[in-house]
Amino acid sequence: MSGLRVLAEARWPAEAGPGEPPPVVAGYLLSSFNPLVADVAERCLAAHHGERPAPPAEGADTAIVLVSASGDATSAEHVAATVDDGRSVGPLFFFQSVPNSIAGHVAARWGLAGPLTCLCPTGDALADGLDQARLLLDDGAARSALVICVEQGGGPNGADSAAAVLVTGDRHR
Amino acid sequence: MADVAITGLAAMSALGRGPAAQLSGVLAGSATFTPVDRFDTDARRVRLAATLPDAGTLTDELAAAIGEACRDGGLRGPADVPVLLAVHGHPAAARSGRAADGRPLRTAAHLAAELTERLGLAGVPRVYTSACVSAGNAVADAAAMITTGRLDRVVVAAGYLVESDQFALFDAGRGLATDGAVRPFSTGRTGLLLGDAVAAVVLESVAAAGARGVTDAARLLGWARTGDGFHPVQPHPRGDGMARAIRQALGRAGLDAGEVGHVNAHGTGSPMSDAAEAAALAEVFDSVAVSATKSVHGHALEASVLLELVITVLALRAGELPLTAGFLAADPACPVNVITDAPVTSPSSISDTAVSVNAAFGGANTALVVRAA
Repeated sequence: MSGLRVLAEARWPAEAGPGEPPPVVAGYLLSSFNPLVADVAERCLAAHHGERPAPPAEGADTAIVLVSASGDATSAEHVAATVDDGRSVGPLFFFQSVPNSIAGHVAARWGLAGPLTCLCPTGDALADGLDQARLLLDDGAARSALVICVEQGGGPNGADSAAAVLVTGDRHR
Repeated sequence: MADVAITGLAAMSALGRGPAAQLSGVLAGSATFTPVDRFDTDARRVRLAATLPDAGTLTDELAAAIGEACRDGGLRGPADVPVLLAVHGHPAAARSGRAADGRPLRTAAHLAAELTERLGLAGVPRVYTSACVSAGNAVADAAAMITTGRLDRVVVAAGYLVESDQFALFDAGRGLATDGAVRPFSTGRTGLLLGDAVAAVVLESVAAAGARGVTDAARLLGWARTGDGFHPVQPHPRGDGMARAIRQALGRAGLDAGEVGHVNAHGTGSPMSDAAEAAALAEVFDSVAVSATKSVHGHALEASVLLELVITVLALRAGELPLTAGFLAADPACPVNVITDAPVTSPSSISDTAVSVNAAFGGANTALVVRAA
């Protein structure tokens, strides 16, 4: 994996509960996007660190790379429809209007203070995310990276999908 | 660590088209906010933004900016150049529907593909959707790609044109200024106002620029991206992550804070964000001249860092530092030296090195250190 070592992984649906919706995240409405990000990130980080937060020395240098072609399409479509109807948008949608928000939620819970990057993939999502992680490590901007790939739709019967992988450089940890 | 040459610039905003219009606009310091006529604002609390009346589509403006930056940098054009793109998404994404498998029919990657095909680009290896630090991440990554030998040359392009959905969201979230002005670091500040911007910058290794005999406009000496690890949308109240970004960027540049003469601040005019940023600036710098040009051209979201980088480079080259519009009086919560009354015009009194600082939801921060060539 281009000089990266996998520390932990998580997927949704999880093997133990296929089809179960991800847990609701307080403050995030309507859409599956933010709960999916939070769920796979939580399980991936817990698999490596155990309980929150990450050890400060590790969290300080851990980047988050959130990769999604769809983004939060459900929320964006809701906002567009509301605007087209000439109505006011619910204020909470402001706070979930960019993927940074839920990535910041993960960062705050786990004490991750490295770079925060959100990408729309132009190739394979996981490959793009890992390439970005490799770049951040090579640049000295981080020592590990949590790569999260989330898509609304695209799976069997239009299902959503999500995966997270925590990686570090071969020379690290 | 090798420097990175900035060899080509292009920008449009409500200040006009081209780099010269941006520089003259921020030195004049006249805010460009007018009633929005691009879409209906009847249901909104705020109805102002900084828009360019003859702005084209986002795709057209990005294509033009990429071409202009390449030509400004002495390239024949954008053919065979890789581009890092910073945008909110495909402008039609939320109204284009879904494919049979539930995927959105239009994404930012489709916008990248349209630009690649139209301009004959070498490709778009990254599309950044990191909100207000998108272009900062892109510039830092471009520098990393160059200094690690991945690429010799790359164009960073970014665009945001004020549109109905983000306007409605900022309005609903009480993010927009209610008194018609953006007042960074000032008493009485009530929020930001949105603005158009499309910009592009050519970055390349010093060796690559030298090999083709071009004179760089500026050098990118340092760059950093950090996270607060504090809150989904609020900045760390002491600006911890931003201060760390500035220090990291200065460290990469091999500079002390005292060697910086100018900071182009994030400076949105938002009460909480400005106070956090001021804390970060006060933590790093003893005293430095601070401009917050969003007070003139508005907040261009994903494109804001790139427009402000272009302005920072132009101001350094001109030896004049932009002023900050809308300033009423110093806020004790914002202990920074804001340039307010007139541009700093004496080249002898300022350093030729500046830092452009930005932040975003999620606690993301970027800092870029530039020096006039």
